[in-house]
Amino acid sequence: MKRHELIVIGAGPAGLSAAIEAKKSGMDVIVFDENSRPGGQLFKQIHKFFGSKEHHAKERGFKIGESLLAEAEELGVKVELNATVMGIYENKEVTVKMNGEVDHFKADKIIIATGAAENMIPFKGWNIPGVIGAGAAQAMMNLQGVKPGSKILMVGSGNVGLVVSFQLLQAGCEVAAVIDAAPRVGGYGVHAAKVARTGVPFYLSHTVIEAKGTDHVSGAVIAEVDSHFQPIPGTEKELDVDTICIAVGLSPMSQLASNAKCDMALIPQKGGNVALLSEYGETNIKGIYCAGDVAGIEEASSAMIQGRSVASHVCYSLGYITEEEFNTKYDSYQEALGKLRMGMFAPANKGRNDFTVTDEGYPISKNLLAKGYMTEEELENFPAYNYKKAGVHPIIECTQNIPCNPCQDACPKKCIKVGENITMLPQIDEEQGCIGCGLCVASCSGQAIFLMDETSDPDGVLISFPYEFLPLPEVGDKGTALSRSGAPVCEAVITDVKKTKVMDKTAVVTMRVPHEFKNSARFYKPV
Amino acid sequence: MAKIIRTAHTEPFVEKPDDDMIICRCEEITKGEIRRAVYDGMSTMNEVKRYLRSGMGLCQGQTCQRLVQNIIAAEMKMKPTEVGMIQGRSPVRPVEIGIFSNNKTDVKEE
Repeated sequence: MKRHELIVIGAGPAGLSAAIEAKKSGMDVIVFDENSRPGGQLFKQIHKFFGSKEHHAKERGFKIGESLLAEAEELGVKVELNATVMGIYENKEVTVKMNGEVDHFKADKIIIATGAAENMIPFKGWNIPGVIGAGAAQAMMNLQGVKPGSKILMVGSGNVGLVVSFQLLQAGCEVAAVIDAAPRVGGYGVHAAKVARTGVPFYLSHTVIEAKGTDHVSGAVIAEVDSHFQPIPGTEKELDVDTICIAVGLSPMSQLASNAKCDMALIPQKGGNVALLSEYGETNIKGIYCAGDVAGIEEASSAMIQGRSVASHVCYSLGYITEEEFNTKYDSYQEALGKLRMGMFAPANKGRNDFTVTDEGYPISKNLLAKGYMTEEELENFPAYNYKKAGVHPIIECTQNIPCNPCQDACPKKCIKVGENITMLPQIDEEQGCIGCGLCVASCSGQAIFLMDETSDPDGVLISFPYEFLPLPEVGDKGTALSRSGAPVCEAVITDVKKTKVMDKTAVVTMRVPHEFKNSARFYKPV
Repeated sequence: MAKIIRTAHTEPFVEKPDDDMIICRCEEITKGEIRRAVYDGMSTMNEVKRYLRSGMGLCQGQTCQRLVQNIIAAEMKMKPTEVGMIQGRSPVRPVEIGIFSNNKTDVKEE
């Protein structure tokens, strides 16, 4: 039996962060992960994260994973891969399957950071090949380089469904529709909007009732549901798809906590069965902690802070840091977590659907929730959209209170203000002069910032927008300008393509459209 | 296996059109089998698991646990939160039987 002061189970964002925090204090820590590579789900995440600048906002998930790994490596954190923890026994004995053997370890403290697993919904044919989890689709595309299918139906409009839909489009798949049984889009409106403007239709209050096919999916039948989520006969619609992606939420993988006999409860706000935790993340069994998604489904950004916060309590209770040091650390982590947990999508607001106005008092777009994009009339309510000035200036279509502020720091002229409370909507400061650099456009993780210039080009209005598809258009290319719903609006000519290192692979493309389409043209389709 | 009778049945078991839908993919347990297990007196996740082997396959209930829970809740006219979950047991992941023979418990404490 080998002894360690701290055993961390899971080398994802929470587990690695916890191990880093503990190792920094001088503790003897070992991390076990059943996978062949560390990082958990971070390496599947090719999109830019939300959050505050101090906590990796606008960095792509896999980049965050890389820097986390580098930090762990530099500190000499021992990570055992292909090491499956089989059980936690009395007195914190842990059995691990590794190197073809069952090995026994003992620890003073254990942090369970095993993450979450995807939920499934059963329907006729749900077990034929081609019905896959959205996370599985992401793993195929972004880790293995395999296209999951050609024509996809996405079931679920939460952030996972929306983000994966966009990535499927980037991989060259056709997304036939995003559907959700709920009457409103579950994820961030900006994620929905960037999918909708490519032309993907949203069907809310719809569910999948059948996967057609025998040995593989050859079609999907969807139907509208009533207020009790029951399919309404006669509303069936068949979609020509070869893959059905299920993105209906995640459940904490809390079997080890249950196995260790921690007090458990099924808490819907936390996404499933979780151990009951103290404010420091400790279970009722002293010395066993949970951190990250296993403690309640949240984002990777909060999992990383939570991991550090929980580990700081471990450091304190083993005497590696003083009470004063612990209190300082704990307070700063909780403050950072508090910032991420604000706004209308905060964990505390999960399931709430009674928001009618933003924190600023602007009416929330109903169309965004029902169809995935905003109408021009609804956008008129938002000053950062309405901002009018001669020459180039930003148009910000960010209309929900989500924790994010990279735009504020992106502007070299400090035109954009979010303020201390990072869930507030960005405002445009009229005193400062926009120079049209496009850095705000590229920095917006939600791809909700555009530049408009009505005066510089005599032949039309110049609209700059974020573009993350290959091949990139070239100056002089002619194509079709698309509206927020992806409908063709008019002919567009590409006048500029900006692609610099700081933009981190989000190109800022400028197109020229006739004046009358300046408020409707928001995306571009090559001919 | 002896049946645990919760209450005496006054009504016959009613089949439903989607009873043949597989819920536990690993062990190929259908919705009808789970409904019948509840009818036969099983009322918790652990009972249904032991009765049918649902959640005892390769994924150890990772995929079907919530689905089985919803079916039990619907049959029992309870909320899913009242049904409870499967007790986590070691090994929480499937382990090849050969590996168990390589158990290192005998190794002297280092």
